[in-house]
Amino acid sequence: MRTKVTKGSPETALLRVLDALVEELIEASDEEILEAAKALRMDLALPQSAAWAGVTYFARPRLDEFFDVDTRKKLPDGH
Amino acid sequence: MPQIPPLVDKRVLRPAQTALALELVTRMDLLRLKSIARMYARGLPPEVTWEDMLQEALTRVLVGTRQKPEDVTMVAFVAGILRSLRADYWRRALKTNDAVRIDHESDESLALVLSDPAPGPERALDARQALNAIKRLFSDDETALQIINGLAQGLCAEQIRVATGLSKTDYDSARKRMRRALLREGLTCEPR
Repeated sequence: MRTKVTKGSPETALLRVLDALVEELIEASDEEILEAAKALRMDLALPQSAAWAGVTYFARPRLDEFFDVDTRKKLPDGH
Repeated sequence: MPQIPPLVDKRVLRPAQTALALELVTRMDLLRLKSIARMYARGLPPEVTWEDMLQEALTRVLVGTRQKPEDVTMVAFVAGILRSLRADYWRRALKTNDAVRIDHESDESLALVLSDPAPGPERALDARQALNAIKRLFSDDETALQIINGLAQGLCAEQIRVATGLSKTDYDSARKRMRRALLREGLTCEPR
């Protein structure tokens, strides 16, 4: 028999940690973000910088970018 | 029949770009939100991407599905939407993976699918693995790991300080180091 969600369940623990870390990110200053980008050698001025991946452009190429809906339907399964 | 005027600019803008153009967020805000989306996507099924969560959260702001209270910053507001999306995806994952099918004995037409509200072993394992992945981000920082463990147990900052014997200065320094590590991870596109 499956156990109920308890205070000590892994998901509860994870969510607590996520919430706390997200609070840290909300409070992060612009300077801290720039510093992190610098440490990663990211140039935020460049539109193609990896920092903007997933934000202003797709992080991973998607078929939607290359094919319209009708063409996609004709592609073999798994695409 | 009314004619739809041609688009002035045929480029397709992503929700994040639209939010930026409308000055709802700054460029730095978008990077904060990227890091937050990556964080909240942890522990979710692999088909749920942080990228989709981020764009979906911003779309909800743009179309007005969610209205920002005046006293809340936009980043905190979108973070709340991301948290809500996470909860939705989590529930969906539970329904998909843990549905219990109850077939009628002799009736082939009707079948009932009941969803068990408790997370199954698969979801619990995902959560445990996600927590371990977060700990690995701070593997070389003993103080940060103590803080993470305290947070996981539901302790507040003061309780963690008492339990670990950390001074307020040490605790705050560790938080800064953690924030830097989180931002460095959050700006990348590495698999979570």
